Amino acid sequence: MQNEQVSLQSMRGDKVAIISCAGMDKALGSVARACAFKVVERLRPNETLLICIPPLVADVKPYSELIKKYPVILIDGCAERCATKIAAKNGAKLRGRVFIPQSVQKHGLKPNTASDIGPEGEELAEKIAEEIAVQIDKLLGK
Amino acid sequence: MTLATGKVGVICCSGEDLPEGTISRVATRLVLEKLRPEETVTLCLPLFLAGGEDERAFARVFPTIAVDGCSKKCAEAGTRRFSGKPVATIVVSEVMKKYPKLKAKSREKLNSEEMGLAMRVAEEIAEKVDEVLCKTNK
Repeated sequence: MQNEQVSLQSMRGDKVAIISCAGMDKALGSVARACAFKVVERLRPNETLLICIPPLVADVKPYSELIKKYPVILIDGCAERCATKIAAKNGAKLRGRVFIPQSVQKHGLKPNTASDIGPEGEELAEKIAEEIAVQIDKLLGK
Repeated sequence: MTLATGKVGVICCSGEDLPEGTISRVATRLVLEKLRPEETVTLCLPLFLAGGEDERAFARVFPTIAVDGCSKKCAEAGTRRFSGKPVATIVVSEVMKKYPKLKAKSREKLNSEEMGLAMRVAEEIAEKVDEVLCKTNK
């Protein structure tokens, strides 16, 4: 049912796909995830699709098709760059990338833990989400 | 990564698509931090899938429990594909059927009801951990 929802959404006009690392054992992974939700649920809900990483590797449709069809913005939580590796391997149209450790340095905000990113982590996620929203607008020519 | 004996790896899907993915993530952290901190480690599924050799080596040597949000069972499938079959799989959407009054709606942050669900899932994971370690130690 969720797959059908994604397919229907994607038919309604220009979209940007967001792929976030969702790393489990680092606070920066939780920040990546928080950014993705802020963009997709609040800042640009009608212009974005959130692509879940695990089904991509399992080649579950329509995820694997959507990342080839729409421009993709990646959010990597750490130097392992899992989102980038998986997206590239699956033929995504990569058009933008956020590297959370760089954003930590840029904004001088440090998240707390993987379970609770804390107020600084929330503020950091908000700032990065706003930057991603600007990238989305550019990609969609707005 | 330092390999240790008497450990179980918990691999959760952490999927962003559904609230159940968030519950899988929170439940796993509850196990790691509160319920069975000495007996468990988590393996990062994206890293595992992207080719993290340490994660894959751990899962080849030590027992793993997959915690999946939905019936796609991506954590189980990924673990099986790259390391070996998990000793158990817990599917959040299946656990939720036991608690029909508890609903999950949010993907970003869980409310108190959803946290209650996450704790139920965490307790099931902890039970499995105990079973696995009991068998391993016999």
